[in-house]
Amino acid sequence: MQSFAPSTIRTRGMPPVAVETGTLTADEIARWRALPWRLLPETPRTPLMNMALDEVLTERVGAGLRPPTLRVWGWSSPCVVLGRFQSVRNEVDEEAAARAGVEIVRRVSGGGAMFIEPEGAITWSLYAPEALTRGMTFAESYRFFDAWVVDALRELGIDAWYEPLNDITSAGGKIGGAAQARRGGAVLHHTTMAYDMNVPLMLSILRIGKEKLSDKGVMSAAKRVGPLRQQTAMGRAEIIDHLVEQFGTSFGLQADEVTPQELSEAERRVDDRFGTRDWIHYLP
Amino acid sequence: MIRHGEFKTPGGKLIAVEFDASDGTLRNVVVTGDFFLYPEEALDRLSGSLEGAPATLTGPDYAARISAGLSGDVELLGSSAEALANAVVRALHDPDTRDAAGGR
Repeated sequence: MQSFAPSTIRTRGMPPVAVETGTLTADEIARWRALPWRLLPETPRTPLMNMALDEVLTERVGAGLRPPTLRVWGWSSPCVVLGRFQSVRNEVDEEAAARAGVEIVRRVSGGGAMFIEPEGAITWSLYAPEALTRGMTFAESYRFFDAWVVDALRELGIDAWYEPLNDITSAGGKIGGAAQARRGGAVLHHTTMAYDMNVPLMLSILRIGKEKLSDKGVMSAAKRVGPLRQQTAMGRAEIIDHLVEQFGTSFGLQADEVTPQELSEAERRVDDRFGTRDWIHYLP
Repeated sequence: MIRHGEFKTPGGKLIAVEFDASDGTLRNVVVTGDFFLYPEEALDRLSGSLEGAPATLTGPDYAARISAGLSGDVELLGSSAEALANAVVRALHDPDTRDAAGGR
């Protein structure tokens, strides 16, 4: 069983007020370290199981049936993940997606559509009691949940920072985004970063309208993203290892696995909800 | 005719609205977008706040109706009542704000 003992947070010569770099205050670090974090390592799962597991694990943490958990996602196949409130036809060319063998799924949290290829994305979820973010606004909690990632990227030499509300960005372009949902006393915070991106395929499937780009300096979606592969020589697996190690060193982390009950409950919800047309096309 | 309007809050999220206004009032209102809303079930209150509204109101009038629907424990992040009101006004008067690549 792999385990990481908490140790002193390394200082990086940055003033603690520079929240854009992700730096946490002493009080925030203490909050993270007070919880007995568990790690669910990367395991390839179908897009629908990834959706359902997020809900099941959030509820389990909320009910006190599972310790606070960091889950690294594995993707078994390409997909578009729609935000909870997005319209399918506004976001996706369904015929193009079907031709490319790209499944369309809908997650429990709000935010924007993601185009996922298994080796192109780095995704994880954090499931924690809402007490972890007590006293914070929703907006503040996004920064709080992504700060350690920004620090981990900076350790790799990537000039990354947090950009409100929910983006991780860099001098080289946007790297990733986060979304949250809350269920029964627990908060789910999940983040996806682009490692590599097939931009032409993405643009043939996602509809990125001119209104969405109206406040951006450039009209090209391709110019807005800065996948990690363009910014570091490290491979995807190495980056994931680095992130997990950084989390463990900073906050403590003990290896764990998804229980059979959690898996069967998630499978049931795929059948009953996440895999149904009623859910995926809930907003057509 | 289904009308569609969108508004992206600068530095924030996109909110879109669709409805039928053929009888002079907003019917079958559907609100979508990449905003965050807590609790999620409050989406029905957003669209419900516009359902049946006259198609002749001004932006601030729509914003006031939407704000009333959002009162209480609802938090809309990345967008606002004013942004949704802008999308409604665009749908009524400038229904060509939709995605050039998308269309229907």
